[in-house]
Amino acid sequence: MLETVAQAVINGLLIGGIYALVSIGVTLIFGVVKIVNFAQGEFVMIGMYISFFLANQFGVDPLLSLFVSMPVLFVIGVLVQHFLISRVLGPNDMPQIFLTFALSLLLLNLALMLFSANYRTVHTSYSDEAFHIGGLYIPVAKLIAFVVAMVLSGALWLFLHATDLGKAMRAAAQNRDVATLMGINPNRVFCVALGIALALAGAAGSLLMPFYSAYPFVGQVFVLMAFVAVVLGTLGNVIGALVASLMMGVAESLGIQFVGADSGLIVVFAMLLLTLAFKPTGLGGGRAR
Amino acid sequence: MSGRTQSLIWLAIGTIVLIALPLVVKSSFAIDIFIRILLFSFIGVAWNLMGGYAKQLSLGHAAYFGLGAYTSTILQINFGISPWIGMIAGGVVAMLASLPIGWLCFRLRGPYFTIATIATAQALMLIFLKFRDLAWGAEGTTIPNLGSAPLMMQFETKSSYYYVALGLLALGLAITYLIERSWMGYYLVAIGEDEDAAEAIGVNAPRIKRDIYLISSFLTALAGTFYTQYIYFIDPATAFSFNISIEAALVSIVGGIGTLWGPVIGTILLETTSTLLQSWLGSSIGGVQLTVYSLILMAVILWRPTGLMGMMSEAWQRFSRKPARA
Repeated sequence: MLETVAQAVINGLLIGGIYALVSIGVTLIFGVVKIVNFAQGEFVMIGMYISFFLANQFGVDPLLSLFVSMPVLFVIGVLVQHFLISRVLGPNDMPQIFLTFALSLLLLNLALMLFSANYRTVHTSYSDEAFHIGGLYIPVAKLIAFVVAMVLSGALWLFLHATDLGKAMRAAAQNRDVATLMGINPNRVFCVALGIALALAGAAGSLLMPFYSAYPFVGQVFVLMAFVAVVLGTLGNVIGALVASLMMGVAESLGIQFVGADSGLIVVFAMLLLTLAFKPTGLGGGRAR
Repeated sequence: MSGRTQSLIWLAIGTIVLIALPLVVKSSFAIDIFIRILLFSFIGVAWNLMGGYAKQLSLGHAAYFGLGAYTSTILQINFGISPWIGMIAGGVVAMLASLPIGWLCFRLRGPYFTIATIATAQALMLIFLKFRDLAWGAEGTTIPNLGSAPLMMQFETKSSYYYVALGLLALGLAITYLIERSWMGYYLVAIGEDEDAAEAIGVNAPRIKRDIYLISSFLTALAGTFYTQYIYFIDPATAFSFNISIEAALVSIVGGIGTLWGPVIGTILLETTSTLLQSWLGSSIGGVQLTVYSLILMAVILWRPTGLMGMMSEAWQRFSRKPARA
């Protein structure tokens, strides 16, 4: 019994690392640009397809393709901010919500048109490897993904706290007007924020590829998780999103272990609805703006 | 001629054309498209009451569509009750469901309200997937075909369905028209413009939002019953389809958010586009329709946030100003 619980917790933590990469991106964009990116999951999907094609065509290991997917998605992020999001920043909710929502629909359905709904997998030498510690089972691919995800999260934290650009980003998140008066160029900061957030989503995609299938709808699983984690972990808070993502991973994994294999999503929705019902203000300051 | 008489004449002409349409057009393919346009206009109108006027941007209206569909079907198959009664019952169930859902979701604003509504609709779908005893689980069920049974909302000709859909749309538009011109309409617009400011001048925003959610969910449920009767099939994936939620919002935004005719105009554009696409490309390639929809939506948001209604009124102003300038 204890072993089953421990195993479920380990599984949850390992996948929680991936959720963290996605939610940190969502919370970073929300904190800095004040916009909810409904398309974040689709950028995970793009990261997965990049890794899939590099592996399939050139035999590149999915973990190495991280060095392609991250820069490519960084550039996409800058372009999305510069050409799309910058045009709808204002007091009005409707364009902001529906622009990224339309982007999500567009990317998802383009993928459906181009790649069909088939599941794509990459098999690596370590896909089936696992460490056995006592009675516990730790798959190598998931462990690597978790470790890289934690390293990237730590690197982001360092960037935000130790570099000028990172500090400018946090300043813009706290008060855009004052930051602008202090000589920070908000457009540049926003572009970098989008770039970093999407690069993290791309990293999540590449890290998933050795043990997860790519398909056009794959992003929706991750973006839902991310939204819940971001609400739970206080909007705009990177550490909060990280901790909440790990919690979500564990909760989902325990749900699958003890309630039923298809109960993962139910656990997610239950957590979201319970959060909204009992702690909406403590988590998002009451108004998600 | 006053503007009011003029619009009454236009309305009369429009009504006559719409009533005469199935008598002239005999192709059942065309009637099917007309029915889709009427139905999605009606869903858009229901969404627009809350999403358009009060700017409570829900992406979870499939919840009420599905509840309407399931209530009438369960009553019909398990208890032999006519879908006409089931339709009203479905509306009432939807209203009852909107109270706790609204209680949860209205605590949040902006994008987080939207996310919460998505989650509630998805959660309901998951519940109905598990709901085997009364509601057939994931497989769904077909509606028994009784041939011509108008009392059971089953008709031999498509044109009868057309008139039911037309009646629903007329109901939705009439309710919108009345609300638009009442104190409630002004409160809704005030909440949509700035909720805090509206509350500061004494608008009871939580109550108004709750009330409009009741009306909007009731109407959406009627559409769910009609749709199930029309396609003779129900399952959780169709009844609670996220695409229903998307289309409800999309037709309103593309047509003109918070306007009486916006959802109708938006549906005409989107459904025509989708029909043309299907006839050019066939339905073999998945994703084409929503790709085009999302491009139209992005174009509207980036260049014309007031939608087609806004474009038309601008064009009308330019047109009617011209003689004065000459």
